[in-house]
Amino acid sequence: MTDALQQLAARVCAAKADATPLYVHGGNTKKHLLGRTCSVERTLDISKYRGISHYQPQELVISARAGTPISELESALAEQGQMLPFEPPRYAGQATIGGTLAGNLSGPGRPWLGSIRDSVLGVQLINGSGQILEFGGKVMKNVAGYDVSRLQAGALGTLGVICEVHLKVLPLPEASVTLARDTSPDEALALMTNYAGQPKPLTGACWVNGKLYLRLAGAASAVEHTAQIWGGDRVDGAIWTQLQDMTHSFFTPSAELWRLATTPTAPCSDQADQCIDWGGSQRWLRTPPASIPQGAHLNLFSGGDRQTEVRGKLDQVQQTLQLRLKKAFDPAGILNPGRLYSWM
Amino acid sequence: MPHPESVLLGLSKLNNILEVDPKARTARLQPGVTNLAISEAAAAHGLYYGPDPSSQIACSIGGNVAENSGGVHCLKYGLTVHNLLCVEMLTVEGERTTLGGGGLDSPGYDLMALVTGSEGLLGIVTEVTVKLLPCPEVARVVMAGFDSVRAAGDAVGAVIAAGIIPAGLEMMDALAIQAAEDFAQAGYPKEAQALLLCELDGTAEEVDQHVEAVTNIFNQHGASSLRVSSDDAERALLWKGRKSAFPAIGRLSADYYCMDGTIPRSQVSHVLEEISKLSAKYQLRCANVFHAGDGNLHPLIMFDSGDPQQLARAERFGADILELSVAVGGCITGEHGVGLEKLNQMPSQFSEAELHQFEDIKHAFDPALTLNPGKGIPILKRCQEYRALPRRHSHD
Amino acid sequence: MHVELHPRYSDNTEAKRAGELISACVHCGLCLATCPTYLDTGDERDSPRGRIYLLKQLLEEGEAGAVTRTHLDRCLSCRSCETACPSGMQYGKLADIGRGMLNIEAPRGPVERLFRFSLRQTLSRPALVAALLRTGQLFRPLLPPRLKRKIPLRQTPGAMPVSTQPRTMLALSGCVQSAATPLTHAAAARVLDRLGISLKIASEAGCCGAVNYHLGAHSDGLDNMRRNIDAWWPMIEAGAEAIISSATGCGSTLVEYGDLLQHDSVYAAKAKRVSALCRDIADVLVDEDLTLLNIERDIGRVAVHTPCSQQHALKQPDIVNTILRRAGFTLAKTRDDHLCCGSAGTYSILQRSRSERLRQRKLEALQVDNPALIVSANVGCQLHLDEESKIPVKHWIELLDPLTHQGH
Repeated sequence: MTDALQQLAARVCAAKADATPLYVHGGNTKKHLLGRTCSVERTLDISKYRGISHYQPQELVISARAGTPISELESALAEQGQMLPFEPPRYAGQATIGGTLAGNLSGPGRPWLGSIRDSVLGVQLINGSGQILEFGGKVMKNVAGYDVSRLQAGALGTLGVICEVHLKVLPLPEASVTLARDTSPDEALALMTNYAGQPKPLTGACWVNGKLYLRLAGAASAVEHTAQIWGGDRVDGAIWTQLQDMTHSFFTPSAELWRLATTPTAPCSDQADQCIDWGGSQRWLRTPPASIPQGAHLNLFSGGDRQTEVRGKLDQVQQTLQLRLKKAFDPAGILNPGRLYSWM
Repeated sequence: MPHPESVLLGLSKLNNILEVDPKARTARLQPGVTNLAISEAAAAHGLYYGPDPSSQIACSIGGNVAENSGGVHCLKYGLTVHNLLCVEMLTVEGERTTLGGGGLDSPGYDLMALVTGSEGLLGIVTEVTVKLLPCPEVARVVMAGFDSVRAAGDAVGAVIAAGIIPAGLEMMDALAIQAAEDFAQAGYPKEAQALLLCELDGTAEEVDQHVEAVTNIFNQHGASSLRVSSDDAERALLWKGRKSAFPAIGRLSADYYCMDGTIPRSQVSHVLEEISKLSAKYQLRCANVFHAGDGNLHPLIMFDSGDPQQLARAERFGADILELSVAVGGCITGEHGVGLEKLNQMPSQFSEAELHQFEDIKHAFDPALTLNPGKGIPILKRCQEYRALPRRHSHD
Repeated sequence: MHVELHPRYSDNTEAKRAGELISACVHCGLCLATCPTYLDTGDERDSPRGRIYLLKQLLEEGEAGAVTRTHLDRCLSCRSCETACPSGMQYGKLADIGRGMLNIEAPRGPVERLFRFSLRQTLSRPALVAALLRTGQLFRPLLPPRLKRKIPLRQTPGAMPVSTQPRTMLALSGCVQSAATPLTHAAAARVLDRLGISLKIASEAGCCGAVNYHLGAHSDGLDNMRRNIDAWWPMIEAGAEAIISSATGCGSTLVEYGDLLQHDSVYAAKAKRVSALCRDIADVLVDEDLTLLNIERDIGRVAVHTPCSQQHALKQPDIVNTILRRAGFTLAKTRDDHLCCGSAGTYSILQRSRSERLRQRKLEALQVDNPALIVSANVGCQLHLDEESKIPVKHWIELLDPLTHQGH
């Protein structure tokens, strides 16, 4: 166990002893995204705790310390013809693997390639009592004990300080083609659902600025053949990087940005300013929709009032369970308090 | 076995398929619906459910959620947890709540992920919504026999290194081949020391391309026999042997003890050699079935439960295999769960603090320890007793 | 799975045999999904694995009650579980031993005993079955519809072949079949006649023994078998090359004579020979060129119902389909072929409502492709399905019989 890790654990122990909460961060790229503003003064910076600790391309597994930038992981993988399947935002090279897990962020391939929640195999974690714990491992399947690794995805660091992450990786696709065509958003949704129901190598489907974009990726023969059948204009794949890193002009204004996670068949919003991603499962909106479809989750992703609740309301039963779970990991409530919900 | 004083709650009669939504590609199910029934119901829409445990004709989706079951296709299509959208659960207090939702992200903690694979310790799953996939245009199986486990293991590595993710990649050793072939009459090469079944699916062009690549790789690694399925009936027959390999061991032995460690794929030759040494040591035969794609090893230790000494030896043999799995960087259970049987091995994978964290999670959901008492997570006193025994402990 | 026999069974050969049979089971549960009664009730004790556990309990505790008997009574003996079982469990044999033991360990009340006795005594006597059936057919027009359907219309078998062919085979005429569907035997005789084979009947032979044996009356069943062996023996010695059954339910019992009489010092060898000679009519025809038969093939799609005895006991799930396809018929798609129709010997009488549910399910599964008719290979299934079917149900051999197409 490294000194650096022991020092991080000692910081948590001290915080618990003083009952002084910590704001845990890496590259600080998501401070104003996803959750509420965490207005505690003492911070725990894990960005220095970085580096790839283990990588065996033939096992399709890579391990890295939490502060490792996504871009560093991507270049190491690319050398071996592999990639992070979940295409996380790199936020100008500052985003870290720890923060990506905490935020459960993923790119446009989510419905087909999963998010980091789907790729994480194991974590090393410091819980709210300052204990260094390991869950999961470096193998593809593991049901010994509860799946604490996956639980970290989207917990915004409130259940523990993520120190190291083990991930499943995939080979880079042999070929990739992007098709574009002009459609209305309603038409785009119908097409996305139709295409996604076909056994073709689809790994991206989005609609923005009046255009439907489809990404085909995989074996060259399959990609080429499908592109011919489906038709449309062949364009470069820049749109996918712009969506992944949120650098597309749609995201430029700093006004409120709402994210609706729903079924691909949910009716289209009539808002003029919207972006549809994930084959219809993710809708980016500038104002909250009038009604939220059954089972959907609305999140004020960025901007707006981040002192109030920014995530979907939980029913009473889950609120109780989630609070008890938070206490199970962080009895003193010192890790990113209030970041997820005001009451947590 | 359940706790002798417990009430047994059977959910197998809740076996209705509540809804199949072909457009959203989802199915809403009661927990007793069998895994295969989901794909059968979805087939009319050209869809299927990805995870396919070998027991899929009998195992239920509720059980799949409890164990986070995989199956032969999970390297490419994921485990149960990757194919769920929504789980309705009763808490131990009897309150109903829905984990997950219609979209891919849900507010708060991902309790659906936590409940998946939790062996019924956190709540009672009463409804499951799964994702469905479009049925591939074509699927073909390449079957290859090898003269050694090592050659087969190397061939597996070479397939992955070539950037191919097969839909399924399975290995069987000589004893497993023999038992499976006796039942299924699939035409497995009975003289082979190891058999690989590699399924490739996708569009017609893609499958042709990959079948050729895989066939070349197998030949380069010295395959002693090679066969490619020509139609779906032949493909089903080739899988029938593999899918019934566990119970087919009943043809060779009165009882078998199935282990479930997961290991790094590259360790398979080493681990199988060690298992063969242990087999000699404990004087019990052991057949091996290996999810080669994802490293999940199922050694099947043969014994006769009528002989108490054999039973005891089988249990020690199994424990050694699990600790070996942990020692090479793996885990004690890939998909069968801990239950009662592997409680003693939990401390070889987890430290006391980690087990304590598990206990705290259990308390958060089930403070009085009402659900599946005694299973899954060892009580710490037991661990201390177990640790006192002279054993290897790999945790650093 | 190991069974620790209760001391009181230490000298009981049946119990020992049961214990040996159970050792093949590895309790994996793959049988559950293929068991019609488990699919019906969802109760583990109505599954093969559950019944194996109940019998294990009987063998280990030395006693069992009405509950065990009830769950065993619900078993159809369809043996679908044996086809599904990778570890080779011989469930059918275990169930038969179990039924015999339970008749002693958990005796039925006097009324039920009398009813079962009468049923066995009646059904295993062809002359009695025929007489009752004739009476029923006489009064059929006067009966209410529900009862009416239970009595099949009288069949006209048509002229039997008169020529003597170079080859001779024996026929098991069967008890119910000879009375209710005499056309089956006649059609078989005519088809074989075309192929140069004379089909003969030994008049002293009677029921194959299945009715008694599967109801747990083992000694009566074995007596039926010995009587048949005696009746056939002279003809076997005279050169009959096979014993032909055109009811797979009976045929699947004939093939077990050798096994069931293995401890009978007088009959063991003969029984073995009889079992070896036994063939279903389909076995004889599967290798013949049937395209030359002068028959009407344009009769619409044919749905083949494969009896459990044919697919799970005789292990010939596709033989009738193969024959009919080669003979030039168009077959209808069917689903859930492995599931029993609910006839199952006396099951349709003893477990009526369950049997009717299974029949309903089977009729739906057979008609998904809108067939013009249904064919079966066993008289029990044929009559049982015909009772409720909207389309004709025949024995498949009738399709190959030139005479059938001339107005029968």
